[in-house]
Amino acid sequence: MKKMKSILALILALVMALSLVACGGGNEDGDKDGNEKMKIALVLPGKKDDVSFNQAMYRGAVEYAEKHADTVELKVVEGVYEVADIDPTLREYADNGYDVVIGHGYQFSEPVNTVAKEYPDVNFLLGCGVGVQKNSACYDVQLEAGGYLMGVIAALATQSNKVGVIGGGEGSEITRGHEGFKAGAKSINPDIEIQEVYTGDWNDTTGAYEAAIGMYDAGVDVIWHSGDGIGLGVVQAAEEKDMYVLGNVEDQKSLAPNNVLSGLQYEWANALDRIFTSIQDGTFVSDGEKETYMINVANGGLSMTELNDVKGWLTEDDIAVIQDVYAKLGQDAIDLPEV
Amino acid sequence: MWSEVFSLGFLVSLLAGTIRLATPILMPALGQIYTQRAGILNLGVEGTMLMAAVCGFSVTAATGSLWFGFAVGVLTGALYSVLMAWLSVSLRVNQVIAGIGMNILATGLAAYIYRLIFGIRTLPAKIVPFQSLDFFGLAKIPYVGTVLFNHNILVYIAFALVPITWFILEKTTFGLKIKAVGEHPRAADSKGISVSGIRYAAVIIGGAYAGAGGVFMTIAYLNMFTESVIGGFGYIAVSVVIFARFTPGRAMWGALLFGFASALQVRLQALGSGIPSQLLLMLPYILTVVALIFASKKAEFPSAYTIPYSRMER
Repeated sequence: MKKMKSILALILALVMALSLVACGGGNEDGDKDGNEKMKIALVLPGKKDDVSFNQAMYRGAVEYAEKHADTVELKVVEGVYEVADIDPTLREYADNGYDVVIGHGYQFSEPVNTVAKEYPDVNFLLGCGVGVQKNSACYDVQLEAGGYLMGVIAALATQSNKVGVIGGGEGSEITRGHEGFKAGAKSINPDIEIQEVYTGDWNDTTGAYEAAIGMYDAGVDVIWHSGDGIGLGVVQAAEEKDMYVLGNVEDQKSLAPNNVLSGLQYEWANALDRIFTSIQDGTFVSDGEKETYMINVANGGLSMTELNDVKGWLTEDDIAVIQDVYAKLGQDAIDLPEV
Repeated sequence: MWSEVFSLGFLVSLLAGTIRLATPILMPALGQIYTQRAGILNLGVEGTMLMAAVCGFSVTAATGSLWFGFAVGVLTGALYSVLMAWLSVSLRVNQVIAGIGMNILATGLAAYIYRLIFGIRTLPAKIVPFQSLDFFGLAKIPYVGTVLFNHNILVYIAFALVPITWFILEKTTFGLKIKAVGEHPRAADSKGISVSGIRYAAVIIGGAYAGAGGVFMTIAYLNMFTESVIGGFGYIAVSVVIFARFTPGRAMWGALLFGFASALQVRLQALGSGIPSQLLLMLPYILTVVALIFASKKAEFPSAYTIPYSRMER
């Protein structure tokens, strides 16, 4: 009797686990008409409508796929966040005849490198991560440039001489962005007070909200966040305290029209264009030094969203300075901090 | 930096944050006191909270009524925990496995419900959350007002539930039955108390409290739903119950302790303490573990804790 119960429990747990998998997978499929389309699988760590990191990549990839609809077939999976889930997901697509598998995010670094070695005939792309194989490459964002620009805007706009920056996990492009932000703010005012928090988790909306409330309470009046779920929490705090926030990855003005001062926007299609060209002309697979496909201000992959200075904290001169820095970043004429 | 830590402004912001963050732990913890006293360990609190968070939020978004959304959240929590009661009381399966299954099911189901209702959107769905009360100007009292009188109504409901929960457990027959069923189900059965009936009730009440905590996150704390909105509060609530030795008063202090640690760590990071962020992020959890080590030694677990009851078996 007892044994039957525990078997039943096991079956129930399995069914529940399966239902999770079933919920996660299965959307938009191209038709399988057997012609030689390049099959691309994009594995996203979050939701494709997160107004941030995932949405930008989703938009970029869909844009590319639509432009090349007759040669490319795109499949998108969402919410593969845990490293334990990433490895089998990558293998599944590699096994199922996909030509390119994209892991979008730092936590994909280790699994992409492991799986790439075992599937030499499949090309792998790794977003904002580290490590390359013969058949893989990295694409990344020069967030130190964007962070620098955000730092300049924050330092010019602040009335209290206190600015803040809130990030997800410490590492990779987020850390570079934070260092850029600090350098940018200090280039305007060397004595400015900069508060910095890492929530440790890109999805920790609650923690980011609490961190932002704490900062605004302490007199900070402009915060830049590095996007994702945490960004939503920071924007909410800004709205509640009626202070400024600077966005990241996607234009977030519509989230809080009175409080989003500006932000950064990523155009991943820019990098994807270059990557897929190299895949198609056969130069992608190589043993030599690998190029990291960057999006930055200079190549137009990283841009500043429109200034939305509702409170009138920026003077004409300030705006001129911002435009000047923006232009210089576009010419690669500013020394950025190296991490 | 240290001069800032000891400034009044820092302290006020910290204590207000402590109370705000303690609420989503306190509500489910109080509910789990009923459940665990009756001898059921429900590890599915996290999932129950998530289901309530998504259902309550959806109803508020659709109707515009916060109270209706709150009621649906509580109801969702109660209904979802019926599954746990059925698994653990009627089927007498291993409670740990059942609880974990409940959480995994909720993760998928909540995301699915949200996508089903709200579709793919370029902006997340937002509602206008419960606003802070001001108690006829009491909130304007410097410092004290900001810490104590400037929260939304659900925060006060959570703290009001502490004496109510204590009263029900210690001063009513129903409370006595719950404890009897958790301590010695066979004796309770021989006195004509329906063991499974009381256990079902205890699990469902626990689910309703957890539902209140879950829906608090999406319509009072934040103004939107994300898949990780509960962020471990459910698990912490379960450990707070053990830390509190199954009493509502101590559960309140346990929840406040955890809220304090969470509120402190983000603020210490912001001030640039020089401590690596990873270490500070661990602070609330280290504190929980340490508190548990000291408290659980003295904790007297109900004798029939996690043991299913059957008249037939000895």
